Amino acid sequence: MSIAKFLISSILTLLLIYFLDNSWNIGGNPLPPLGRFLDPYHGFWQNIEKTDQKGSTSLDIKGLKAPVKVVFDSLMIPHIFADNDDDLYLAQGYVTAMHRLWQMEFQTHAAAGRVSEILSADAILNYDRSQRRLGMVFGARRAMEFMENDPIVSQVVRQYTEGINQYISSLDYASLPFEYKLLDYEPEAWTPLKCALLLKNMAQTLNMGDKDMEMTNALKLFGKQYIDLLYPDHEKVGDAIVENAGKWNFTPISLDTVPLAVPQEFISIAKLPKSDPTTGSNNWAVSGSKTATGSPILCNDPHLNLTLPSIWYLLQLHAPGINAMGASLPGAPGIVIGFNDSIAWGVTNAQRDLVDWYGITYENQERDKYQLDGKWIDTEKVIEEIKRKGKPTFHDTVVYTRWGPVTYDKSYRAEHNLKDYAFKWVAHERSEEVLALYKLNRAKNHSDYMNALNHFHSPAQNFAFASVSGDIAMRIQGRFPVRRLNEGKFVLDGTKQASGWLAYIPNEQNVMYKNPERGFVSSANQYPVDPTYPYYVTAPNYEAYRNRRINNVLREKNNISVEDMMKLQNDNYNLKAAESLPTFLNMLDSGSFTKDERAAFVILKQWDYFNNADSEGASYFEAWWDMLMPMIWDEMQKENLLLEWPTTFTTIRLIKEEPAFEFFDITTTKEKEAAPDILRRAFAESVKNIRKWKDEHADEVAWADYKDSFIGHLLPPMKALSIPVKTGGNHDIVNAHSRTHGPSWRMIVSLEKSGVKAWGTYPGGQSGNPGSKYYNNLLNRWVKGEYYQLSFLRGVPSQDDAIFITTLNPK
Amino acid sequence: MRFAVQVIVILVLASILELILPWWSIAIGAFAGGLVFRTRANFIAGFLGIGILWLTMALIIDTSAAAPLTTRVGNLFMGISPTVLLLATALIGGLVGGLAAVAGASLRKPKRKLKYY
Repeated sequence: MSIAKFLISSILTLLLIYFLDNSWNIGGNPLPPLGRFLDPYHGFWQNIEKTDQKGSTSLDIKGLKAPVKVVFDSLMIPHIFADNDDDLYLAQGYVTAMHRLWQMEFQTHAAAGRVSEILSADAILNYDRSQRRLGMVFGARRAMEFMENDPIVSQVVRQYTEGINQYISSLDYASLPFEYKLLDYEPEAWTPLKCALLLKNMAQTLNMGDKDMEMTNALKLFGKQYIDLLYPDHEKVGDAIVENAGKWNFTPISLDTVPLAVPQEFISIAKLPKSDPTTGSNNWAVSGSKTATGSPILCNDPHLNLTLPSIWYLLQLHAPGINAMGASLPGAPGIVIGFNDSIAWGVTNAQRDLVDWYGITYENQERDKYQLDGKWIDTEKVIEEIKRKGKPTFHDTVVYTRWGPVTYDKSYRAEHNLKDYAFKWVAHERSEEVLALYKLNRAKNHSDYMNALNHFHSPAQNFAFASVSGDIAMRIQGRFPVRRLNEGKFVLDGTKQASGWLAYIPNEQNVMYKNPERGFVSSANQYPVDPTYPYYVTAPNYEAYRNRRINNVLREKNNISVEDMMKLQNDNYNLKAAESLPTFLNMLDSGSFTKDERAAFVILKQWDYFNNADSEGASYFEAWWDMLMPMIWDEMQKENLLLEWPTTFTTIRLIKEEPAFEFFDITTTKEKEAAPDILRRAFAESVKNIRKWKDEHADEVAWADYKDSFIGHLLPPMKALSIPVKTGGNHDIVNAHSRTHGPSWRMIVSLEKSGVKAWGTYPGGQSGNPGSKYYNNLLNRWVKGEYYQLSFLRGVPSQDDAIFITTLNPK
Repeated sequence: MRFAVQVIVILVLASILELILPWWSIAIGAFAGGLVFRTRANFIAGFLGIGILWLTMALIIDTSAAAPLTTRVGNLFMGISPTVLLLATALIGGLVGGLAAVAGASLRKPKRKLKYY
């Protein structure tokens, strides 16, 4: 009797413990191990930081040569003071992991296509396959060849890796970051490959855009004359980033122009989602001749998908030969955007075609050989093993050619396509970014900056520069293939070596200049260079509005103060609206207005073109625009056929200059529409949408409410952890905060001889722990367009209430 | 009285074990409490011992919390409130404690017989 009772109750207890000690997937909803997760002694409760929590005053760490002082300021920014480079990078790895371990590891898992190991779902498997098939790890391994062999970089990466691993080995379940507990897995050892993967991840966000297949389809569907009209190489609006006409004093590399075969094919591939084309950035540097202090000012705000934990991690690195501060990428050693005692630098993405697709001709169905210059060349088949949580491992065979991996084929997103295309991407090549950043962090002047950038290959960036000694400069740096006219706009013939990238533009022939007459340099993802530059330049898209607003303001202003620069970074002027709305309103047939439409018309008429948070005009304009684009380009909505809409700028130009253009006709109606008809229809629809919004939300449709922005958690299914924010701005506006993307870091540096001063703000916080007050404590000021003055230290300060010092001692 | 002692012993034992062992050590504490202090309501004793321990510990953490992680976790779990999350924590701990206490108690011969030794 009692034995039975004992057995039954013991077994029940053990079963319950087993159930509560493991994660489950119930009806597609992942459930953490409830007992372990909810245990207040070890579970998520232990991730809740106390209001008065301070870190340890000293930690013993293996591998250090000498003690390192880490000063945490009131914003939780670490200022690392080390005696030598080795200790400096070890400490950077350790401290970054302390705040961001889950994020840094997750990002490298995401880059490598390993998310299925953590969360299992069909969509996630598809994502992982795409990362493998784009050759992300292949590219990272190529980057490793340099990382492992360069004496400086191998040491920097090794020490940084060691620092992260020291932190990982200090963890037990109670101190594990929150997300590991929630998703029930553990961190693995960090490796140098992960540093490379992280940089490839950035390259993917910034430098993987292309529209070659879309253009190929458009060419066949609409013909050559429409291609030039709808997708011009250069929209010829505003200043190029570098206007240096007549001063390109070099002999360019010229290639024998073999006439490129113009493809005549339709491609039906379910192409992977592209990075948001509104991803972009602003940077500028103003010469001392235009500033109130007489010293140069440099500003930068990179626009990215805004996420928590925050994209950037701020820190200061101080050791013999270096005193630099700024934004780092958790997972990569050094500072990416920042300043030091002598210089400041900032980046925006360089718009350039760095992706090509090469049509492959296989010998037969086996795909063992493909044709190249009349010979049959062996393919390499890589079997990707995708481990899945709670499910059997998925095997995916990816065919590699000399061009790169065949991303889409009969087993992946191209079931109905007849031909395979190999993917060539500049980030598959060898690269030296860590060395570039290492040197840039230590640069003292313009020539050091130039020397550092020679090592920067990918992702190609527009590097703005300013120095305490008074120089300003801009350099568009990356590895750029020498292109023949129109090369890279369409898919290419993969059976001929001659259609490949036969040479790269030498570093010294890249687009750059120093101290231009206008007294400032700037870039905002626009067209890079004046027409006298001797190389053919093409890109999937260029920005047409932000850059002009920035240049107009900078040109007019003198005696510029730091406050002026803050105002400009937060400028909500909608140049696109100013250039299009008067025409739109004139074209509207106001005779047939409903009551709502009349009210909307009045609001738009009175609107000042500022997308401020409380503006109603901005809401009506943006709603109208959002309806208009798909209506105009309905010709581009073809089933199974990839096509891309022309740009905003081209669309507005056509409305203004060619209102009877045949694309304004809506294909599904009998009538022949022109621009005014389509504007009228889109207007009616957008007013209806706003009416619906008002019925559901509020009487006034303030832009910030209508836009409804949010800072999402890095892991999209964790919607509950995202934070709504109410801001003005939008894409195509200097304050480029759209619903999901925006200024991920706003930095202003005044390069004064008496000492470099800097201000910054970003939407989040230094800690990646949702149980810390430093998770999103910087968010409010960012929303309001306010800044923190950064404390750029010259030495270890004495302990006071505002700071906290941790000493890392050699173990 | 004996019941109260049993609850307290389970609570204290579990709180010590939790310092050195993973979460499931609460079962060892409750099991021992059931074995040594067998009462008529072992399940309730185990449930209360662990439930109160976890509830108190979680409350202490929550009152000095610098960030609303309980709200965030509640949102992840179908939007339950921090209070419900606290109670769920106590309930889960309590269930394990209760069952383990019953198991412990059942290992021992009934008290009645002991008296005749």
